[in-house]
Amino acid sequence: MSEHPNLSKWTELAEKQMKGKSLETLDWTTPEGIKVKPLYTAEDLEDMESVNTLPGMEPYVRGPMATMYAGRPWTIRQYAGFSTAKESNAFYHKALAAGQKGLSVAFDLATHRGYDSDHPRVAGDIGKAGVAIDSVEDMKILFDGIPLDQMSVSMTMNGAVIPILAGYIVAAEEQGVKHEQLSGTIQNDILKEYLTRNTYIYPPEPSMRIISDIMSFCSSNMPRYNTISISGYHMMEAGANSVLQTAFTIADGIEYVKAALKSGMDIDTFAPRLSFFFGIGMNFFMDIAMLRAARFLWHRAMSGFNPKNPKSSMLRTHCQTSGWSLTEQDPYNNVIRTTMEALSAVLGGTQSLHTNSFDEAIGLPTDFSARIARNTQIIIQDESNITKVIDPLGGSYYLESLTSAIIDEAQKIIDEIEELGGMAKAIESGMPKMRIEESAARKQARIDQGLDVIVGVNKYQLANEKIDFEIREVPASVRDEQIARIKEIKSTRDQAAVDKALADLRTAAEGGGNLLEAALPAVRARATVGEISDAMEAVFGRFVATTRCISGAYSSEFVADTRAIDNIKNRTNAFFDKQGRRPRMLVTKMGQDGHDRGFKVVASAYADLGFDVDISPMFQTPAEAAKMAIENDVHVVGASSLAAGHKSLIPELINELKKIGGEDIIVVAGGVIPPMDYDFLYEAGVKAVFGPGTPIPDSADKTLRLLEEKYLS
Amino acid sequence: MLKSAEVYVDGVKNGNRLMLARTITLIESALPAHQELAREIVDRLLPETGKGVRLGITGVPGAGKSTFIESFGTMLTGLGHKVAVLAIDPSSSRSGGSILGDKTRMEKLAINPDAFIRPSPSGGTLGGVGRKTRETMLVCEAAGYDVVIIETVGVGQSETTVASMVDFFLVLMIAGAGDELQGIKKGVLEVADTIVINKADGDNIQRAEIARKEYETALHMLMPASPNWSPRVLTCSSTQSTGIDTIWNTVLDHRNKLTQCGEMAFKRKEQALEWMSFLLDEGLRAWFYNNPEIKKLLPTLKHDVENRNTSPTAAADLLLKILTQ
Repeated sequence: MSEHPNLSKWTELAEKQMKGKSLETLDWTTPEGIKVKPLYTAEDLEDMESVNTLPGMEPYVRGPMATMYAGRPWTIRQYAGFSTAKESNAFYHKALAAGQKGLSVAFDLATHRGYDSDHPRVAGDIGKAGVAIDSVEDMKILFDGIPLDQMSVSMTMNGAVIPILAGYIVAAEEQGVKHEQLSGTIQNDILKEYLTRNTYIYPPEPSMRIISDIMSFCSSNMPRYNTISISGYHMMEAGANSVLQTAFTIADGIEYVKAALKSGMDIDTFAPRLSFFFGIGMNFFMDIAMLRAARFLWHRAMSGFNPKNPKSSMLRTHCQTSGWSLTEQDPYNNVIRTTMEALSAVLGGTQSLHTNSFDEAIGLPTDFSARIARNTQIIIQDESNITKVIDPLGGSYYLESLTSAIIDEAQKIIDEIEELGGMAKAIESGMPKMRIEESAARKQARIDQGLDVIVGVNKYQLANEKIDFEIREVPASVRDEQIARIKEIKSTRDQAAVDKALADLRTAAEGGGNLLEAALPAVRARATVGEISDAMEAVFGRFVATTRCISGAYSSEFVADTRAIDNIKNRTNAFFDKQGRRPRMLVTKMGQDGHDRGFKVVASAYADLGFDVDISPMFQTPAEAAKMAIENDVHVVGASSLAAGHKSLIPELINELKKIGGEDIIVVAGGVIPPMDYDFLYEAGVKAVFGPGTPIPDSADKTLRLLEEKYLS
Repeated sequence: MLKSAEVYVDGVKNGNRLMLARTITLIESALPAHQELAREIVDRLLPETGKGVRLGITGVPGAGKSTFIESFGTMLTGLGHKVAVLAIDPSSSRSGGSILGDKTRMEKLAINPDAFIRPSPSGGTLGGVGRKTRETMLVCEAAGYDVVIIETVGVGQSETTVASMVDFFLVLMIAGAGDELQGIKKGVLEVADTIVINKADGDNIQRAEIARKEYETALHMLMPASPNWSPRVLTCSSTQSTGIDTIWNTVLDHRNKLTQCGEMAFKRKEQALEWMSFLLDEGLRAWFYNNPEIKKLLPTLKHDVENRNTSPTAAADLLLKILTQ
């Protein structure tokens, strides 16, 4: 095919409309570095490998199933869990009655990291960002009245994956359900934890073994169960653009396949049970194209392993709308954002979907906000007729071009990772993490300059923010309830049986037994999540992350208007002249909250603005953070909190600082902190609170002003 | 809001973490008033110093310095030592600010009550590193830390400065693929008392052993800095904590050998004298360049030299004569 006969005429017409400006000024370079033109034509699709294929057939660009939503729509699967098992169970029952089709369990951070609720390190985390599970007794309450032979259950668990999956299996056993009847998904994607979310327990090597053990156990005992959900979602939430998300996720998948093959499994016994999980943001067409490109790339990668079963190279995925794109400001706008993102996931051909609640930048979803989120999907499915046609955008000049561009760009990164020796080695080298952080810093800089618009944050801000809806809070009594139940279990169980089961598990960890199989007797004997984790930790050790931080990316992205950041830079210089050193700030993350994007971006940007920034290790207790603040002699501590621990952890930090003479150190807080908690924090001594979406120059300005008032006046 | 020297001196002597930290801030400060106070404090603490083992550790980025110190320091506190770590961070961005992330790699040591870790921004002035670090080291000794570790990145000139203020200088390496010296300056190897090949674990053990032999050969070609000590090459794994105790034993062995023959005392005296002449040089330069007449004349003379109206020798002579007038 040659150029459209009228294309030159169109160019002429367009340039006339642009009053002489060149057409190229309408080109847009996406955050992925892909050049997008204002118009695409049939010519763009020439020689494109990914075009003109059919759904349900390789390379699956148009969908893994032949009939897609025309046959059956995607599964509405809302991720939820909070406080106690009992509360979460009640929430699930309501959601199922209102049209939800599958369950998806969120665990609290203490559980993720393998700590029982009575562990002193996790006092601030119990029941906060998910449900607290300490033993199979909690698990039984969680699924009470939910027939596990019929309900597909997805569990977001990576660190404490052995005790939790074993707990689910034993809870099912005690419901009278057989292993082979269980269906659902366990996330079990440890590689991305080292990259972004940090809810790992053990070092990479034993963690990879755990995954192989689970794949092996499930392939012979739980054939309907997805043994892993290879997740790009958290990378996107950490700031990865769509090409990075695609490349790193596919590369993670390849690494898992290699690990399973190495452990002696046949590709077709486990590969059909691999599932994926992508995050969908506000770059509407880009993320539709991303899902199509990911299916193409997975098929290409898997073909290299010569599977016989076509399902082995078929990418099936769950999607979630972006939590990061939600704003605390003017929060009803989030309903619209989530709708857009849901549409993007659907047009991209997802197999199941979670839509976020509009209040998630502020707190945990309420029954009301959860209903709106669920109905967003039901309305798309039942009212819009979108489901009638398979891959309705297939053949679109623009979308197919984008799909192909993502395939090409992501493949380059996948090749780069292969050269490094695979994803595990790449992660060790720090490359993927640095790329994601650089992408995050650049995005933040674009937002802070208003180049990426976020309504309510950097455009059309409200003069007065008012929250006129209910916010769910987790009562402090959750921890006490959990501790009481642990005590009860420990006093009524057969301790000798527990000890023996745990000793056997340890032997399996040392030797070669299957860890999931070895954990089942321990769970049956009522060993706790913490005890089972500890038994393996005794052999494997606990992983300590290396925190690297990039510099320069934030300020180098500031091109349009540098006045705001120049102002800050001048003032940090002036501070140096008068105080003999730069303003020094400790950014810290306390509790088990591993979301480190915000804290990294802040550290990197503040250093670019002329601060000396100390970064604390992850998972600090308030006393540890205080010691570090004192030793490094900082002027200010910035505490980042994204998992609802702020009301206990931050006042405790202030208290600990006082105890060791650091009462003059200023404390500021940032992250997901609901506005109604601001006063509580101010009363506790916090000097400034920065909610989600606060532009960095604004928070830096305010922080610096606090320091100027204290030291320069 | 400056307190009197007394308060800082007492605080440091009592091992108060806060006062030690704030004294270091004064030492590092660019303000003359702070520096003057710092001098007074250091002077008054001097009798309390000198008792510690002073260790310098350097290595290329990625050699695992922080992780090594985490493992090494934790072992030392286990033996009953109090350990201070002074980490000089070169990661400053163009703005002058910097990211100080050492403690994220020293998670256990950072919360250890017997450890004090202080990361310092280099602020872009390599010469300044030495000055501040030396005094900081003394203050840590006065606060009761009997092992002081100074960590620098082995890519600049700062490590030779550091080597000239410590008892024992350790260069950390990893087995590389072919690039034996990994950009480390030969000068750095010349001042090494021991080279340690880190990350000797898993499938890397053999490569580490090969690298160890290579460095041993390389060291044979260099003249040892001390007649009483031949630098050694060891291997270790910071993550598995293997070989760490041998390194400490080597430090102690070095200490014993050099103490017995009197070289240790001599070395410290030499270092003090070197330090004094360094400060003199620095002071003279500052004095010279701050002289109002010099300040006035220098640009003109530079211009003249550039345009060949005056010879460099004559210009320098003229300027120096001003000082003696």
